Amino acid sequence: MSTLERVRRRGADLDLGRRGQAAVASGVAFAAFTALGLLFPGTIAGTLVDVIFSAGTLSSALRLSVPIVLAALGGIFAEKSGVINIGLEGLLIISAFGAIYATDLTGNLWVGFGAGVVASTLLAALFAVVCIEFRADQIIAGLAVWLIALGLAPFASQVIYGAPNTTSVRTPPSAADVVLGLPVVGDVLRVLVSAATGFGAAVVTVATGLRNATGGVPLAGLLVEAVVTVAGAVHYVVVVVLVGALVEANVVVYLTFLMVALSWYGLYRTQFGRWVRASGENPRALDTAGVDVSRVRYAAVLLSGVLSGMGGSALSLTLGQFTGNGPTMVNGKGFIAIVAYLFGNYNPVGAFLSTLLFAGLDALQIVLQLRDVGVPNQLIRVTPFVMVIVVLALVGRTRIPSAAGEHYESGEE
Amino acid sequence: MSQPAVELREITKRFPGVVANDEVDLTVERGSVHALLGENGAGKTTLMNVLYGLYEPTDGTVVVDGRERGFDSPRDAIDAGVGMIHQHFMLVDPMTVTENITLGNEPRRFGGLAVDRERARREVVELSERYGFDVDPDARIEDVSVGVQQRVEILKALYRGADVLVLDEPTAVLTPQEVEDLFAVLAELTDQGKTVVFITHKLGEAMTAADRITVLRDGRNVGSVAADETTREELAELMVGREVLLDVERPATDFGDEVLDVAGLTVTDERGVRAVDDLSLSVREGEIFGVAGVDGNGQRELVEAITGLVRPDDGTIRLEGADLTDRSRRERIEAGMSYVPEDRQEQGLVMAFALVENAILGSQHAPPFARDGRLDWDRAGEHADSVVSEYDVRPPDARTEAGDLSGGNQQKFVVGRELERDPTLLVAAHPTRGVDVGSIEFIHERLLELRAQGVGILLVSSKLAEVQALSDRLAVIYEGEFVDVVDPADTTEEELGLLMAGERPDTTGDPGTDTAERGATEPPEESTGETGTADGSGGGGE
Repeated sequence: MSTLERVRRRGADLDLGRRGQAAVASGVAFAAFTALGLLFPGTIAGTLVDVIFSAGTLSSALRLSVPIVLAALGGIFAEKSGVINIGLEGLLIISAFGAIYATDLTGNLWVGFGAGVVASTLLAALFAVVCIEFRADQIIAGLAVWLIALGLAPFASQVIYGAPNTTSVRTPPSAADVVLGLPVVGDVLRVLVSAATGFGAAVVTVATGLRNATGGVPLAGLLVEAVVTVAGAVHYVVVVVLVGALVEANVVVYLTFLMVALSWYGLYRTQFGRWVRASGENPRALDTAGVDVSRVRYAAVLLSGVLSGMGGSALSLTLGQFTGNGPTMVNGKGFIAIVAYLFGNYNPVGAFLSTLLFAGLDALQIVLQLRDVGVPNQLIRVTPFVMVIVVLALVGRTRIPSAAGEHYESGEE
Repeated sequence: MSQPAVELREITKRFPGVVANDEVDLTVERGSVHALLGENGAGKTTLMNVLYGLYEPTDGTVVVDGRERGFDSPRDAIDAGVGMIHQHFMLVDPMTVTENITLGNEPRRFGGLAVDRERARREVVELSERYGFDVDPDARIEDVSVGVQQRVEILKALYRGADVLVLDEPTAVLTPQEVEDLFAVLAELTDQGKTVVFITHKLGEAMTAADRITVLRDGRNVGSVAADETTREELAELMVGREVLLDVERPATDFGDEVLDVAGLTVTDERGVRAVDDLSLSVREGEIFGVAGVDGNGQRELVEAITGLVRPDDGTIRLEGADLTDRSRRERIEAGMSYVPEDRQEQGLVMAFALVENAILGSQHAPPFARDGRLDWDRAGEHADSVVSEYDVRPPDARTEAGDLSGGNQQKFVVGRELERDPTLLVAAHPTRGVDVGSIEFIHERLLELRAQGVGILLVSSKLAEVQALSDRLAVIYEGEFVDVVDPADTTEEELGLLMAGERPDTTGDPGTDTAERGATEPPEESTGETGTADGSGGGGE
């Protein structure tokens, strides 16, 4: 018992430790970088900090994240149950088109959104039957899902609209539009927003006043600078994040938040979530406990269809159009979703954060290309990928479910 | 005692071509520990699988709690209060102890939506305290030892309301200390009215832990005895039984020089246990050196260290005087070491390859089969054909995939390939395991031919009769050490059985030396075909 256990324990601790160290190291590096940028506004660091701490970057990161995060959540459920669903890209494509088409037909955004979800779920159901019932190779079936959608959606658009791109429909409202329009809640929120803005401004005013008051005093100067910096950060968090990004964010961003929370709860706190995890780790254990493994896997794969469908619908509806040229408007988001959940170690929150990091870097990269920072744009364009690789190396190994990708046949002999 | 907890009446279970259980009666009293003792293939696991609903008996009835039952699935058995702890645990590694115990039966709240984690944890703590189990409910399975995992499996069965617990070879994966802990747990369980049946092939364990012992041999119940009224000798005799005669002509040969010399070999297995402990042996030209023992006593590690599959912690291995201890597999093959591995499907053959390809495994890198980086398939084909015809492999077609051959033919093919290498030393591990009688005789003849040609043979087998009939010297291994090295002709099976159970002889033999000529001149009087001796690893996967 003893030695073996101790060795294993130690291994686990080390693993955890490396993750923790990586987090601390990145945090420290980021803080140092921010301080550098704030102290020397004219340099590249200054520009970067300026860009990072802007409402635009955050809100576009959030917007870019929506389809990726939702598809990643779907992928988590499927793979945790033991079925690797690399067809997420296809599910996004089919739902993106379905949502626009149904909205165009009915004029109702919610019907359109639902239709996208249904389209994706149907395709996922096909995938589930092929993999679970007919024991097809999950990777090949997943690629087939992608290719089917990649061919079908632009083709349908061509037939219906005469072009790979559909007509435009109206887009869902932002959170501000929805909530501020409500009778009482809207007023309350308005007050809160102005209070928050006022608070942020007040903090900065006080800090600046302090700086002026102590001007010329040598030692106090540094201290005050620190206070001013902190005040600036508080102002940023309150005004830029809360007000700027969140209030103006589209409702689908909130849907995503909700789904991340629900997925986490579902996976780690419900009976179904436990069965999903057991099904992907040791289906035989689940089977001998009297739970039908196939049924759990069906449910998980269908759920991946529902979640990806939300992602695809949100993607096309927020832009008001489905564009079907080349890799379509989905353009690899389903595959990035796979990276995101692997990166987040199959944890819904982890997948969300890693998507946000990636989307944030992507948004940053776009802004930086527009500004002249003295680095060729071609190099800037690869920074998100380089960063992802660096972070991956720091975070360490992802733990893949033991039985992922393996067919399970119940039966006693 | 009132009504027995479990009663099996005239259970017969046939598989195509095999009778695994033949009218077996078994009565297990409530609140007792009952050991099911027997060799590998004696039908112990089959019998318990019938009780657990995994197999439907061909004939006979299962009575639990005085009521006749027909279990269609383990679920039915669980509902009737029978829980089974398999040799390979059914646990989800990254989940906690509590999560595993309650899996499938989670207490819930919020209208069945969420798992009531506090209640689950509380129930698990209560359960383990009640039976005096030392288990951390929040530890992850992957972080706890095998012994704790086993306790989790027992708790899982108890959580589901099991009254009768069936454990399949529970000690096979445990360290000696863990075995003691397990037996304490079993005693506590029966004190509280539970009934325990455990399968074992170790008679010492049966005598220590059980109240009653039932011995199975060749699918039949050959005796049920109370543990405190029997002796090791009696049990050994029941297990081994009287054996049918198998004639092996073993002509006298002159032993030549030492071929293999192993000194001070020590090997640690993956559990960190010393599987081979400071062991020395030597094999001479024209000699068959047999190693007998209950499986799992270090035979595999011994063989794999000699053949270069595992690295020994200590000791030296010399072949014809050359030190091979740090040499690779390839270098050992080139030095003249052939190897018939224990598991032909895992180690001996590539199942998806044709026989032609399998025939050159191990020689694929060198002439005559490889030249200038290319394989000479014509040569390989000729070679494969000759192995197939000489060793009577059926179907006689070298293009057949190895996986399409029957086990006996696969084995003949592996033996053929290894013998055709023209070795100076053959290491043969269970060369006739799972092989029909005709093939057994054939393989035995080939081994003796090789011996007559002056090849040294290290023969490891759990079939007592086999090693006894073939060996010139016979070592009995127990817990990684040779208990004794004997002349097989002068030793009875009962004596060997006791040695295999770890009982040292009064006059300690000197392992690895002496016995130069004895046993070589006269074939043993009686010996036999099929008695196996137990199997620790596979659990008799019939």
